[in-house]
Amino acid sequence: MEPTKGYVLVASCKINFYRYAINLAESILDYNPDAKMTLFCEEWMFEELHRDLFENVYWCDNHYRAKLQGMSKSPYDLTFYVDVDMECEHEDIALVFDELGESDVMFSALTDDREYTYAERRFDSPEGKQIFDLCGGVCLYDMRKPIVRQFMHDWWELTRRMMNREWFPEGYNESLRSWDQFTLWWLVNKEDKYKDLKVGIFENDLRWNYYNALNPAITPTPEGGIVLRHYSCGLDKDGFIL
Amino acid sequence: MSYRKWMDNAFWETDEKQMLNCILEMEDDVGRVTRQVMKLRKTDDDGKENPDFVEVVDQLGEELITENTNERNVRKKREAEEDKQRQLEHAKARKLEQLFNYKLEAFEIDDIKNSKNRQLKSKLRRAKNRVEVDLYAIMIVMEEMKKREEEENGTD
Repeated sequence: MEPTKGYVLVASCKINFYRYAINLAESILDYNPDAKMTLFCEEWMFEELHRDLFENVYWCDNHYRAKLQGMSKSPYDLTFYVDVDMECEHEDIALVFDELGESDVMFSALTDDREYTYAERRFDSPEGKQIFDLCGGVCLYDMRKPIVRQFMHDWWELTRRMMNREWFPEGYNESLRSWDQFTLWWLVNKEDKYKDLKVGIFENDLRWNYYNALNPAITPTPEGGIVLRHYSCGLDKDGFIL
Repeated sequence: MSYRKWMDNAFWETDEKQMLNCILEMEDDVGRVTRQVMKLRKTDDDGKENPDFVEVVDQLGEELITENTNERNVRKKREAEEDKQRQLEHAKARKLEQLFNYKLEAFEIDDIKNSKNRQLKSKLRRAKNRVEVDLYAIMIVMEEMKKREEEENGTD
């Protein structure tokens, strides 16, 4: 049986995230009119006129990292999660599901040459200097695999507990507590049960998560064209658009 | 064993070769090495020759200093060009973010928000500048107004 394929979008806490989500959904439909999408948002944000953009609309918690809750509840076999402060610019968005290959989950990379755009990448641990190398702005994963379903569940639970001050390992800087990248790093590198999880990086990963803050004079624009542009750094997420 | 030597990367500060920029490396009696950047004039105000200047030129040779100067000029020019390009790209990225926010503002206008004309809305989203955004926004609003007028006339 053909796996189901769809995009998961999550908007929580701030109305602007909902507006970005609607814009992202419409931009995906501009380039892939057959796209199946599921929106997770808070009930108070939702406007009925947007219902027909989505196959499903589910409510999520009022939590800054509700993206992980949405990711763990994806109704699709092959899921492509996309941060909502992104916009689709290319018809290859329809082909993203072919990228997974042998991997269980796939991310874009945090690399040395793009470091000038990152907030916090290097950190101390009891074992010495560490580095985040996975970016959670987009994530392609196979929910048919039990290890992936468990991983997504654990990523959300651990992040929720960390931010709720119920969990945090000794010997790490407190500033890491707000990053889901830290729980991602922890699960991938410290949890034995995920040692067999096949974590991949998109080939030509910048196509799928191109930070608008990247400078083409330093970081060349990806061949084949940008599929998803990430506006993350430059947006006024707290302000009201109108 | 203490020593005093001029680093081999000295260059002329002026085209007339009247001033040198150079680094003096020194080691003291307990083995501490220090480096000092110096600007040396060929002569002082009274026209008296500067012995340090003479020492550097004698030690490194005028040819090497001129070669260093030319290489430095080429490098500085290239760096300035790269920096200009970076600033330009940075400004373009900021402009794109502003345009993105501007489009989202347009999409919050009721007539545009409620419009089912996906083709025009898509054109608005792909607009490359504010003028284009405004044009498509006006087209969508006018279309919605026309629809309302037709509905009102139809019900009269």
